[in-house]
This record gives sequence, C-alpha cells and structure tokens, in this order.
Amino acid sequence: MAAKDESKNSQKKSGNGNDDLVLLNSENLQNNMKIIFYSRTFLSIIAGVIAGILGLTGLMGFILYFFIMAISSLGLAAKAKFSVLNYFDSCNRIILDGLFGGLMSFVLFWTFAYDIVHIF
Amino acid sequence: MGVGFGVGVIGLLFLAHAAYATSQYRSVLKILEEEFSSPPMNVVIELFLGLAMCFWAAMAVSGDFLSIHPDSEDNRVVSLPGNLDFMTFNHRGRVLPYNQN
Repeated sequence: MAAKDESKNSQKKSGNGNDDLVLLNSENLQNNMKIIFYSRTFLSIIAGVIAGILGLTGLMGFILYFFIMAISSLGLAAKAKFSVLNYFDSCNRIILDGLFGGLMSFVLFWTFAYDIVHIF
Repeated sequence: MGVGFGVGVIGLLFLAHAAYATSQYRSVLKILEEEFSSPPMNVVIELFLGLAMCFWAAMAVSGDFLSIHPDSEDNRVVSLPGNLDFMTFNHRGRVLPYNQN
C-alpha cells in the first residue's frame, strides 16, 4: 500500500537499466560493510607482523599480503554462507573492499616487525 | 564473542613468542657468523598456527552479517513498527511552527 516507507531502517532504492527498483535495508548493509572493514584491517595487521617475523623482503611480502587477503575473502564468503547477494549489493564488496587501505597497514606493521625482530 | 576473543589473544601470544624466538635465533646466527635465510621450522609452524587462530578470531568476533532484503524472514520483526497503516498524523505536532531550513 505504501509507496514510501518511513521506517527507521531507511530503505535505499537502487535501480538498474530495466527500470526495476530494488529496495535494500541500508542500515544492515552498512553493518555488513563495517564487519568486512574491521576483519580486513585486523588481518592485514597480522599479515604485516608475520611478514616481518619471517624476514620477507620485496615482492614476497606483497605476495603474502594478497594471499592472506584472498583467504580472508573466502572466509568472509563462508561467513555469508556463500549466498553473498543476501548480505551485499554486489559480489565485489567482499573481494575488493578494504584491500588498499589494508595494504597501508600491512606495510606499516611489516616494517615495524622486521625492525624489531631482525635489526634490534 | 568471548571464545573468539580468547582465541585471538592466544594467536597474538603465539606471534609474539615466534618473534622472540626468531630474534634469539638471529643472535645465535650472528655468533656463528652464518646467514639468516628463514626462521627454524618450529617457528614457522607456530606462525602458521597463530595466523589460523587470528583468522578465526577475525571472523568470529566481528559479529554476524544481517540480511539486506526488507522482506527476508529475520528482518520482519525489526520492520514491524514501521507499518504505515498504524501511523497517525493528526497529533499536536501539526500546530507547531514549521521551520523551513
């Protein structure tokens, strides 16, 4: 009956080319994005510490980072019970979101751990 | 949340212990004047276990994913108060001055 819902879960409309409106619960979508962000940031810090302890230098460290991010994408997809579109509006969210922000944290903790373990 | 957090703390402790063991190993290598290529095998296994535990903690501690479809079964109770059929607009708010901007 209602064309516009005034509930507090502010609904977001997203349209595609076929003029077909899809209503999404944006509060839950933001919650899910926050969860991905926290998990990714924590895992990139752990990846940095591990790369520093192992004494990796150069390209091998970045390979380790992307490997751990790929595993974390799998883990997040498993947490979403593999039906990703129930929880996100596109599949790219769990793969690409937070990847380059985590890269900065990774390099910081990599340098930090390498210095502590191997230089001091 | 409690178990996941504990597992994460244990994983971090494993990583700290592995860091300490690696720096000790490195000082031994300096005495023997050999070159450092990689930490000993038990340190690598400990790092791997620490990574697995931190990974599990990262998945468990952050909370559950919530469904974004408004008509899914677990969103039904949350959206019940927002039913337009039960809203009234003929209340005393209508005589309050209405500020535009």
